[in-house]
Amino acid sequence: MSNLVLMVGVFVFSFVVGYFLISRVPTLLHTPLMSMTNAISAVTILGVLILFSVPSTRFEQMIGSVALIMVTFNLVGGFTITDRMLRMFKKKQEGNNP
Amino acid sequence: MTLVLDFCLIGVLIVGIWLFHRPAEAKYGNLTAAAALACAMGLVIYRYGIMHPFVVVICLLVGGVIGIWVARKITMIQIPAMVAFQNGAGGIAAFFLSFVELMRGAGQMGAINEMSGLVNLAVGSLTFSGSMVAAGKLAGVLKQTPTILTNHTRLVQANLGIVILLMLIAFFLPGTAAVVFYLIIFALSIGFGILFSMRVGGADMPVLISFLNATTGLAAALCGMIIENQLLIACGATVAASGSILTHMMCRAMNRSLYHVFIPEKAPEKPVSTMDELPENNLFSTGGQMTEPEQTIHEEMSEPEKETPDADPLKTAVHQVQTADTVVIVPGYGMAVAQAQFEVIELTRLLMDMGKQVIFAIHPVAGRMPGHMNVLLAEAGVDYDMLKEMDEVNPTFAGTDLCLVIGACDVVNPAAMETDGSPISGMPILNAHEAKQVICCNLDDKPGYSGVENALYQNSNTLMLLGNAKQTLGQLLEALTETPAAVQEKLTAQDETAGKEASAAPPMEKAVNRLMSGEKIIIIPGYGMAQAQAQFQVKELADLLESAGKQVSFAIHPVAGRMPGHMNVLLAEAEVDYDKLIDMDEINPEFSQTDVALVFGACDVVNPSAIHVEGTPISGMPILNAHEAKTIVVCNYDTQPGYSGVGNTLYDDPKTILLMGDAADTARELTAAIQKKR
Repeated sequence: MSNLVLMVGVFVFSFVVGYFLISRVPTLLHTPLMSMTNAISAVTILGVLILFSVPSTRFEQMIGSVALIMVTFNLVGGFTITDRMLRMFKKKQEGNNP
Repeated sequence: MTLVLDFCLIGVLIVGIWLFHRPAEAKYGNLTAAAALACAMGLVIYRYGIMHPFVVVICLLVGGVIGIWVARKITMIQIPAMVAFQNGAGGIAAFFLSFVELMRGAGQMGAINEMSGLVNLAVGSLTFSGSMVAAGKLAGVLKQTPTILTNHTRLVQANLGIVILLMLIAFFLPGTAAVVFYLIIFALSIGFGILFSMRVGGADMPVLISFLNATTGLAAALCGMIIENQLLIACGATVAASGSILTHMMCRAMNRSLYHVFIPEKAPEKPVSTMDELPENNLFSTGGQMTEPEQTIHEEMSEPEKETPDADPLKTAVHQVQTADTVVIVPGYGMAVAQAQFEVIELTRLLMDMGKQVIFAIHPVAGRMPGHMNVLLAEAGVDYDMLKEMDEVNPTFAGTDLCLVIGACDVVNPAAMETDGSPISGMPILNAHEAKQVICCNLDDKPGYSGVENALYQNSNTLMLLGNAKQTLGQLLEALTETPAAVQEKLTAQDETAGKEASAAPPMEKAVNRLMSGEKIIIIPGYGMAQAQAQFQVKELADLLESAGKQVSFAIHPVAGRMPGHMNVLLAEAEVDYDKLIDMDEINPEFSQTDVALVFGACDVVNPSAIHVEGTPISGMPILNAHEAKTIVVCNYDTQPGYSGVGNTLYDDPKTILLMGDAADTARELTAAIQKKR
């Protein structure tokens, strides 16, 4: 039961904190924001890794592998493209690195 | 200890998101978040160990390499499709995880864990299929128009109901017997995702993507609940919050409710009037009441030179006929009854002589026998090439300037599409209501044979010319031939638009002059700019104007493009300084002091109809007030309506200079012309 309270608590807390933080993100950055949160949602990778931490059947390994490839793609691709996008947002004076 | 570490990582992640509130720091935010997740992965591997390191490493490499490769290769216009695809990847991974955990834990799982798993089977798979449909639409693999099945809403509801029922059954079923149910839940949820995303059209894509973003987050959080991992729950909840906020913002920006994006109203019209408004007692006064305010609107928007709002509807009609380039004529039995087909033909010839494109839209049940209208018109000497069937002509109405309804009622009644339970519900109709202008030459505004009030008559862009069709058309013909000067003017204007070289010159020169003499210039980019890949030329033009000492900024509408903030990314790609990208709310007050508003490939987001005209799909949508600028230069591909299908009244504004054609070419020509002048 205490687990349930903790989990719901973490969910609500993160949702509320996330809500306030994200409300402050300027519309300018909405696309990179979405792309980054998308990559963060690939945190599922932790769960998939845990799948592989106990002895598993062939079938489970197969499903796990597909899931792992998809979620790694999501994670790596998401952060990479967000980075690429954000580097394009430039200000004249600052002369950011290319 | 483990909890403390988890919470530290959650803290780092929050810092990462917090850094997003300033553009200059956002990229560190992204790296911070990435680092937090990398640490979390390391931590999990350290804590739990890996039984099959070979498989895991291979999978990580494959996914990672593909991820980097795709992320490097993709262009900014493809970002929405990519994000949608990634949402799908996250969704299916969440499904697989839940599936394996449920199978493994069969019987011995905690109730909360099992319930989360079951819900996640559905959330994960619907996110997957919904995202794939969205990605397909965005990538142009699927068509962008909404696809609506019969009883679509009921199908969706039934699907959802069955899934919930199956979840409950599976929850109480002991042991491995539930696996079958897992698979059925999977299949149904895949169907659910397809059902709700297939009827979301191109312009509503930002909402769909944001919504799927939220569901991916929810799926991740649910995964966390299955395996009791706080980090997963926290990350998932944050993403869900982000997706929800963006969904809400996009809906607000389009003045739509989430419900209406997913359950679209079928036709954009105002609801059909109730029966007590039936005009039987005084039909002409009712007609007058209906048309008068509407005329006022037309005159405000397109004919400011007219003094009185209650001018003769015939005059308005003449003006509308003269300014239209494409005309669709919808004949009905009323035409036959009035024997007006000869006048119709005469009018058709006149219009064609004026260089307009004229076709006839023939409804299968118009008239009293199959093909009746075809016979009548053929008799009057119409070329059969001009007679188009309903299915062929319906998609073209949205791009039609003027629809002339002659003695037809039920076959153009949009109530057939939107009102349930009336005698004509579900009847296929000619979508005359989608045309920019509709003129009805009917005897009266009474309902047709079905007895259902015609909602088309009440549309703001419908002009009623009541009376005997033969006489009405005769008057119209007379008026049209009477004003040869206006016709001539129109003709020359058309000659100019005909050849590209000839046409470009005068408006282009005008635009260049205005740009040169202006001080404050606001550029409004839209998805058309992105499609023409014109952002680089636009940036060049902006630089040139700036070097000439002008104040240049970009006005960004929240839903311009295909996902939240899409325009910002595209312009950033072209190295536009982000200080120059100004939000709608911030820039709108400035338009009235702006010399030139330069529109590149934007339509709905600058359409003043959103403010002035009620009952259109965009009514009430906040727009960029480009119409308040002293001069508006529109560099769009054509004057067709945007995704909303609502004609853009900005184009008719006398302050507006239209430069039609590929936006990149137009920008290049503008730049060259200005350089020459300097």
